[in-house]
Amino acid sequence: MSRRAAGGAALLACTGLACAGLIAGCGSHPARVTSSGPPPAAPLSTSLSTSLVTAQGTWAVAVMGGPDAGNEFWQLFFRPATSGRWSLVTPQGVADNGGMVAAGGGAYLVVGFRPSQNLTFSPLATSTDTGRNWTPGLLDARLADTPGAIAVGPSGRTLALLQDGTIEAATAGSAAAGRWAPLTTLEALGASAPGRACGLEGVTAVSFGPDGNPMAAGSCARPGPAGVFTDAGGTWRSAGLGLPAGGRVRVLGLTSLAGGNMALLAAGSSRYAAWWDGTRWTVSAPVTAGGVRAAGFGPGGSAWLLLGGGRAEIVAGAAGGAWRALPPVPAGTEVLAPQGTGPLAPGTGGSYDALAAAGSRLTVWRLVRGAWAKVQQIAVPVQYGSSG
Amino acid sequence: MPGMNSGLSPSDPTLVAAFKSALLHQGAIVLLMLAFLWLLWATARTWRPAASPGKGGTAAGGAVEPRGRWLLRTGFGVLWIFDGLLQAQPKMAGGLATQVIEPIAASSAGWVQHLVSWGGTVWSYHPVQAGAASVWIQVGIGAWLIAAARGPWSRLAGAASVAWGLVVWVLGESFGGIFAPGLSWLTGAPGGVLFYVAAGALIALPEGAWRRPRSGRLVLAGLGVFCAGMALLQAWPGRGFWQGTAGGKAGTLSGMVKEMSATPQPRFLSSLLSGFASFAARYAFAVNLVVVIALAALGAVFLAGRPRLVRYAVWFGIVFCLADWVLVQDLGFLGGLGTDPNSMIPLILLFSAGYLALVPEVSGEMAGVSEAARDGEAGGADGAEKARDPGKARWLRPGTLRGLGKAVASARARSVAAAGALAVIVLGAAPMAAAAANRTADPILALAISGNSSRLDLPAPGFSLTDQDGRTVSLASLRGKAVLMTFLDPVCTTDCPIIAQEFKQAGQMLGAQAGHVELVAVVANPTYRSTAFTRAFDRQEGLTTVPNWLYLTGSLSQLGEVWRHYGVAVQNLPAGAMSAHNDVAVIIDPAGRIRQEMDADPGPGTSGTQSSFSVLLSQYARQALRQS
Repeated sequence: MSRRAAGGAALLACTGLACAGLIAGCGSHPARVTSSGPPPAAPLSTSLSTSLVTAQGTWAVAVMGGPDAGNEFWQLFFRPATSGRWSLVTPQGVADNGGMVAAGGGAYLVVGFRPSQNLTFSPLATSTDTGRNWTPGLLDARLADTPGAIAVGPSGRTLALLQDGTIEAATAGSAAAGRWAPLTTLEALGASAPGRACGLEGVTAVSFGPDGNPMAAGSCARPGPAGVFTDAGGTWRSAGLGLPAGGRVRVLGLTSLAGGNMALLAAGSSRYAAWWDGTRWTVSAPVTAGGVRAAGFGPGGSAWLLLGGGRAEIVAGAAGGAWRALPPVPAGTEVLAPQGTGPLAPGTGGSYDALAAAGSRLTVWRLVRGAWAKVQQIAVPVQYGSSG
Repeated sequence: MPGMNSGLSPSDPTLVAAFKSALLHQGAIVLLMLAFLWLLWATARTWRPAASPGKGGTAAGGAVEPRGRWLLRTGFGVLWIFDGLLQAQPKMAGGLATQVIEPIAASSAGWVQHLVSWGGTVWSYHPVQAGAASVWIQVGIGAWLIAAARGPWSRLAGAASVAWGLVVWVLGESFGGIFAPGLSWLTGAPGGVLFYVAAGALIALPEGAWRRPRSGRLVLAGLGVFCAGMALLQAWPGRGFWQGTAGGKAGTLSGMVKEMSATPQPRFLSSLLSGFASFAARYAFAVNLVVVIALAALGAVFLAGRPRLVRYAVWFGIVFCLADWVLVQDLGFLGGLGTDPNSMIPLILLFSAGYLALVPEVSGEMAGVSEAARDGEAGGADGAEKARDPGKARWLRPGTLRGLGKAVASARARSVAAAGALAVIVLGAAPMAAAAANRTADPILALAISGNSSRLDLPAPGFSLTDQDGRTVSLASLRGKAVLMTFLDPVCTTDCPIIAQEFKQAGQMLGAQAGHVELVAVVANPTYRSTAFTRAFDRQEGLTTVPNWLYLTGSLSQLGEVWRHYGVAVQNLPAGAMSAHNDVAVIIDPAGRIRQEMDADPGPGTSGTQSSFSVLLSQYARQALRQS
């Protein structure tokens, strides 16, 4: 190429430099994310908002503050068995933006804090005096994001389900010192005979069986069996729960009862309660529902489901109790809590409180003669902006 | 883009003061340098008057510089100087990376973001050095272009313009947004600085190339292709330019103009833009049609290259570009973080230079053609210049000291000014290169975040606590070592893990001196304070293998005493909040005296701010070791 021609070409190249960019720009479009994989699996668990009943009274976990995640603070409320008044008993000293899981057993109430932001382990707090004083404890791992992630036995023995599906156990004393022993992992449980039979996908709850042995429950990929397992001296066995209607079964919750256990199950759009007396399961008739916003167990084999659109269903009593709809719950209801702590009359379901959260205000509604009545308001001193 | 955001406001007073101070100091050096050069030149001329250049200067006895080249050189020289002065705006040091570079890159392809992130991180790690360097480099290039009219120095200035322009185009403008959606000539595509690059490349060409009308045709053809391409892009359906509103939202053009009108600026300009935004929203189709037709027509005329038509097209292009510059681009440089006047002024210069190159003046430039032709293509105008000015040719060659003296004495004022401009560029580029090579951030970030750091000389209150392994540790037992001490909550979710990392990094920065420094944290939580928690925290933060790390705890009364003595307020808060405490770091010298106390609030905890705090802590530790 002659120098003259080279100069000309350079000139054209220079002035056309932007054109090259233009050509590239013509084809520029916002990246579209496409997925050729299977549709995402439905969430394994419900909200951490729940309630539970111990001999001392009723406990409720609800999220308040907001609206951004950094200003969401989980709160623990307690209503003594002898009173109709709720009070705030959230343990202090640790940020609970990541979520709170509570479990009761005997005189113990154990609260686990899911880590958030730069924290990677889970502080615990244990109370034996209805939330007046708390003893710190430590789980040096991430607690699972499910309301059934902790179970406490009558002696204070505690089970914890970790985010990765590992189950660990500790005595009351060793939990305070952060000494936990691994019981099993999701992989090991899935590889066990009952795990393979159900095609175990994930663990959603831990509990203790009537014999005091650890139990685990999760969701199965294979239709029919429910993933409820008992630990018999290191060997995990199926608890033998299955749904006659078939379908893939997810266990929404698992709790201990006197002499047995109770589970809440989901299969397709049907929800079930199931009771175990240590030898056989009794399954309720189904209730049809879409998503379950929150769920919890009441005394004597009762349970509740908070569904979309202000719908709430309760089931009471063991051995085939039927689901019953409550009147539409008040707006903002985060959690339902049975009013009594004693066994409810089968079929009635007793009465319930609905705890509705709005920012830093908690309103307690009580079901009185078939209608919700506002009975209490609690101003929660939410520390907005304290977590970053 | 991690690492880019320091979390500091662009108007942060510490940063702004440091930036101003750097500019003042470097400005003084520039003045000294220029004075020295002038003195050297004047002295050489006094000693060797015979070697002084003739009266006529550059143009004496030779062809004048082609008008098109002169326009590009001086026009872009002025633009570079203007851009350099814009870089001196107070918010630039703290705001360019986060307010300009990051948002531009955010909508670009991932690999662009990755590349830009590197440049942005260098800037945000060293905002003062980078900010000042940009000022001097751009002012230097502009002055060089203006001062060096002819010859290799002038062409080299063009090359410098290309090099720096590409840096700015890639790292500052994310390739002018060509890899992002919404590309439009109206808003400055393909990036104003790309026109600086093109102009620099044209200036860097041999001067002979400018003396041929064919060159002008080529320049205009390039611009014609560009305009036609931009017309096509503007006409492309589905990009929102044809609609005034789309889905209840403003159309692309009216939305952009409306956004620009929100820039801090004189009210009349803002009103003008708001008015045009409303107009564009109402008559979007008509406005876009005018733009498409105008660009297509310009493209066609430039490609045709007929001088008479081109002249009208250039005048029309100037008016059209100015209208877009005011009504859409909002002048480009307002708001305190404007880096340049956007694309229209450079484009006007290129249009005009292309036209001037197409119709060279017979009296001056054509004479140059014959001269260049005599010299042959290999020499071109440079050869002609050398022939006219043998002293200058010698000046360009390395020689003896005597030769150098002669060369200096015979240099023209413009050459001296060009050398001065080059020195200014070097003054800016050297600290920037050093900053880019430095992987730790400047401590100015930490100082800006933490505010005052107090120099003290007080006896450090003693304590006796338990370390993470259960051993008793007292301050007395640490005598002979410098102590970097802070207060951390082991179940903290925000600042404490970041502060721990800063301490860890500071220890690493100390190198061999780390053996003489203890990194000490005291538990700052009344409830979660057992060694189980300090150990869990250490595992979480990777501190278990740091030999000089101590995380101390004790009974509530023991801790309370230490907190009180060191002015740390620790308090449990209700309703699920983290335990509250103030972030403090104290530096204790080996003799047990507090030498420094600083607010250790780590800010956003980005890699830049963490690194900055670590540098500051390690500096304080070294000072404490020296003070003992």
